[in-house]
Amino acid sequence: MGELDGRVAVISGGTRGIGRAIAEAYLRDGAKVVVSGRDQAKGEGAIAEMNAGDNAMFVAADSAVREDCERLISATVEKYGRIDILVNNAGGSKDNAPVAQLTDAAMDWALKVNLWSTLWCSRAALQHMIPQQWGRIINISSTEGKVGKPGISIYVTAKHAVNGFTKSLAMEVGTLGITVNALCPGAIETDMMKTDGPPAAESMGITYEALLDWFAQESAIKRLNDVEDVALVASLLASDAGAGITGSLISIDGGSAPY
Amino acid sequence: MGKLEGKVAAITGGTRSIGRAMAEAFLREGASVVVNGRDAVKGAQAIAEMGGGDNIAFYAGDAAKQSTAEGIVDFAVERYGRLDIMCLNSGGVMHTAPVSMMSDEEWALEMDWNLNSVFWGMRKSLQHMLPRGAGRILVTSSVEGKGGKPGLPGYNASKHAVLGLVKSAAKETGTTGVTVNAILPGLIETDIVRDTGPESAKMMGLESYDAMIELFSSESAIKKPNTVEQVAAVAVMLASDAARNFTGCMFPVDGGSLPY
Repeated sequence: MGELDGRVAVISGGTRGIGRAIAEAYLRDGAKVVVSGRDQAKGEGAIAEMNAGDNAMFVAADSAVREDCERLISATVEKYGRIDILVNNAGGSKDNAPVAQLTDAAMDWALKVNLWSTLWCSRAALQHMIPQQWGRIINISSTEGKVGKPGISIYVTAKHAVNGFTKSLAMEVGTLGITVNALCPGAIETDMMKTDGPPAAESMGITYEALLDWFAQESAIKRLNDVEDVALVASLLASDAGAGITGSLISIDGGSAPY
Repeated sequence: MGKLEGKVAAITGGTRSIGRAMAEAFLREGASVVVNGRDAVKGAQAIAEMGGGDNIAFYAGDAAKQSTAEGIVDFAVERYGRLDIMCLNSGGVMHTAPVSMMSDEEWALEMDWNLNSVFWGMRKSLQHMLPRGAGRILVTSSVEGKGGKPGLPGYNASKHAVLGLVKSAAKETGTTGVTVNAILPGLIETDIVRDTGPESAKMMGLESYDAMIELFSSESAIKKPNTVEQVAAVAVMLASDAARNFTGCMFPVDGGSLPY
């Protein structure tokens, strides 16, 4: 018996990285899991690797597009009959630049994929969670949702906004059996970090190695975090024991932002 | 396999309330546990109720005293060979008063119970854990470690202070294999709160104990008190090997009362 037996979870962008680790943890805990991603072939590959039979499904969806976010939720309910846990995990930033050179398009995409997608998926999921009086919304923010670094203002802004959204929604639905929390990981060397980190570092005026070292050095543990760190808290929050934790911005950063 | 199989834990307090829930959860996860309290009879009864056999032991003493806060570490090491998890949990509100009427003696009692005890127990635990390159220190703070209530100056000041201690110790020990974290529960209707709550309510200018419960509940998003089981679940997670990268964490269990 797992702690999430009978639960249905959606994880946006869950084919790899942090989302993938959460998906695998939820499957171990007994939940049915839906993950999304833009690439159908990669998504189906990820589902096959997770080896969960009919307990896992991939939905091709671009989190920067409203219709796709809404379809992710509706496809989940169609397949498994309900939605209990939503992990708004899709996010990132591209075309980072110092503010003086920043394009509107870069800010727009960062807000869409981090913030708007969180609204779109949450709003659609709440239509099911509110009537059933049970739900868990877990927003994957960042330690950069609490502090800020130069050259990545679009990411820092979007993640701060996600944290504000988290607090407000938590207060809205607190008596309805629904909790809403943000997880704020430090730097993790995921596939996405390996792809998007080097240009982000360039915008910050440093090398990719220096970027990783910056994150490690400002922590207490002097190393980067792991995707499993995030999955550990995501499992706790999704469980029944997580019912008393809401509106929290939980640092998973090795002591970088100890608040 | 439990999440704490083979670990040795000590908990200041621990015969009832939050500490008791931690002890029971740790036992279920496979740890051996030392609990502490002032009353040897109540302590013997508590460990009998928990039914942990040889895996649970009681250490008698007032956790507000240095001899107890340090002695429980020695006791655990003597009894079970080492100490992996130290829960500096004992604390509460004692003979409180508004600042203008607070006596030095009352202030000192609060500081000894909620702050100095944590320092004494932490120092002693680190002296055991650092040479071993492994350990988990969990401090039970409170939502009142971030906020403030009228009439509880000693509690508020000491619960804030332990968070500073945790942050500093976490930075000191970050690369050693020892982690130091705090849990910040919202109001829980524990035995201690039922005992001391009526006086606290009076000092807070409230009509009754029920009004105090209502005040705390109304500040939360969930509009109800928290439970000891919710705190124990976080304690198990932070105590586990899987939480090796968690340190300096101020983990709230407050139903959204102070969302930061």
